[in-house]
Amino acid sequence: MRDHLNTIRKDPLLLVLWLALICFAVIWIAPFAFIVFTSLKGNGEIMSTGPFALPTELRPDNYDVAWNRGGFSRSFFNSVFVSAVKVPLGIALSAIAAYALAKMPGRFNRLVFLLIVFGTMIPFQVMLAPIFTLVNKMGLVDSYAGLILPYLAFGVPFQVFILHSFFRGVPKELSEAALIDGAGHFTIFRRIFLPISLPILAALFILDFVATWNEFAMALVIMQDQSKWTLPLGLMSFQGQFSNEYGQLNAAIVITVLPAVLVYLIFQRYFVSGLAAGAVKG
Amino acid sequence: MSHVDIRDLRKSYGTVNVIHGIDVDIQQGEFVVLVGPSGCGKSTLLRMVAGLEAISSGSISIGGRVVNDVAPKDRDIAMVFQNYALYPQMTVAQNMSFALELAGESKDVIAGKVGRAAEILGLKPLLDRKPSALSGGQRQRVAMGRAIVRDPQVFLFDEPLSNLDAKLRVQMRAEIKGLCARLGTTTIYVTHDQVEAMTMADKIVVLNGGKVEQVGAPLELYDHPRNVFVAGFLGSPAMNLWPVEAIAGGLKLPGGSILPLDGRHPLPQPGTKLTLGIRPESLLPVADGPIRAKVALVEPTGAETIVAVTVGSETGTVLLKERFSMPVGTDIGLAPVAGSLHLFDAATGMALPVKAS
Repeated sequence: MRDHLNTIRKDPLLLVLWLALICFAVIWIAPFAFIVFTSLKGNGEIMSTGPFALPTELRPDNYDVAWNRGGFSRSFFNSVFVSAVKVPLGIALSAIAAYALAKMPGRFNRLVFLLIVFGTMIPFQVMLAPIFTLVNKMGLVDSYAGLILPYLAFGVPFQVFILHSFFRGVPKELSEAALIDGAGHFTIFRRIFLPISLPILAALFILDFVATWNEFAMALVIMQDQSKWTLPLGLMSFQGQFSNEYGQLNAAIVITVLPAVLVYLIFQRYFVSGLAAGAVKG
Repeated sequence: MSHVDIRDLRKSYGTVNVIHGIDVDIQQGEFVVLVGPSGCGKSTLLRMVAGLEAISSGSISIGGRVVNDVAPKDRDIAMVFQNYALYPQMTVAQNMSFALELAGESKDVIAGKVGRAAEILGLKPLLDRKPSALSGGQRQRVAMGRAIVRDPQVFLFDEPLSNLDAKLRVQMRAEIKGLCARLGTTTIYVTHDQVEAMTMADKIVVLNGGKVEQVGAPLELYDHPRNVFVAGFLGSPAMNLWPVEAIAGGLKLPGGSILPLDGRHPLPQPGTKLTLGIRPESLLPVADGPIRAKVALVEPTGAETIVAVTVGSETGTVLLKERFSMPVGTDIGLAPVAGSLHLFDAATGMALPVKAS
């Protein structure tokens, strides 16, 4: 800590950067603080105090009431199920595809890769109507598969793109050494490539989890039966019905956001190192 | 028996031919160095032996078995790469046991073999470390450990010392040579460093432009280069190669000095254009020496002195065992040591035959 302070004192630019960083952090944290504080206040206190005032009388029952009124146990389960299936499955598929395209010789690798990456260029909203038609024809409306399949289709291209460039950066001697040691492609993938790409996989896991967890538009179109709603849909419905119950509404928001925050906090150390990985050949 | 036979081996990428028909015989237990300038095809040749590059035509056999279409893992070889290619997430012990584990060896056997290899290479205290916590020399040793635990028929080394600093390189050079001699395993070693080739090899294969220029024991190649390329490539500082013209009883050097022939070569026809080769250490400064030269630069290294000279319009090098100091621009005379002249045909670059002694 003392070392840190000394370096900052010696370098005024670093001080300015630190101040800017603190300002940004405050700006980013402010809405979250607002939501958490409000979620613990009664309606009377919300009207009479400022948004950033600490609650004087804690009202944890807001959470209880919101959870039951909003039927969040069902939508929470749905969100957990969809994310728990989609996120690992998507990353596994992407990693296998990226390995095959980057490391296994094939005549059409480049073409296939371009086709996949092309998927990242199509805005999701443009595809909503056609996807609904397709899912409907397959008879998958209101089913988990009907939501998970399009999620996979939209998640995989970006992940393949990132993992492909990472795998290509791995020196070819590493796989050649394993090849001579007697490993086949599957073993090389599982024993060599997966372990060294753990940081980047963790980063993709966080990004994909948060995106899937918060996804709204596709779920709205495909999940019409309320019992299949995911959390963002449940939250929207709650907001429509109880827009005056600020305390409960914010409690519902916290319930929705909390798992994503937890996942981020758990994996963030990998996330940071994952973003830096590939920048220099290690 | 683990001799390696390479027969009329060719490699082309599309229409570009990089290996033009190579024949090499490698005996059981021999340490063979493939040496040549960058792009001569030496690494490609080694990778073809390893099975990492497909063969366009010809054949490679290891221990009498043609391995053209055999997968790398089934060729019973082990390879050490220039960048070591250690598995970064595995410890030293895991790196060394990976192949054995894949081969389905029992835990006891693996522990025994890894322990023995670690003993030989002095890696015992490092077995639990990850490669990132090792120095360059230690990594190199782990890469060798990974090769020797498999007890292969052939070791392949692809410029294994290029990433090490000069001092460590000399040390590892001796270590590798000693290790291979002790294990008695046939070894193919690729390098662009001719000092490595000279010091380590039982047999050197000099490659250039995808062709074998000459094969032989290091000193045989040094003393009797078959052509100008080999003459100029082996030896440091490089052999002096000067364009000369045969005249009656001698050679006319650049700048007009006349050098009498030493009788080792049959007299060439007067007027023939030749290339004269003299090793730097075979030139001595003699006041009335037949080669008239001018001192261009004196580089004392302590043990010896390297003197750069100009002979007519050509440059040359003289390597002296004794201290030498003379101002730049001084005219000196040089005389070749008896029997040290090499003559090459100027057009073909091939060495002229020497008289049978």
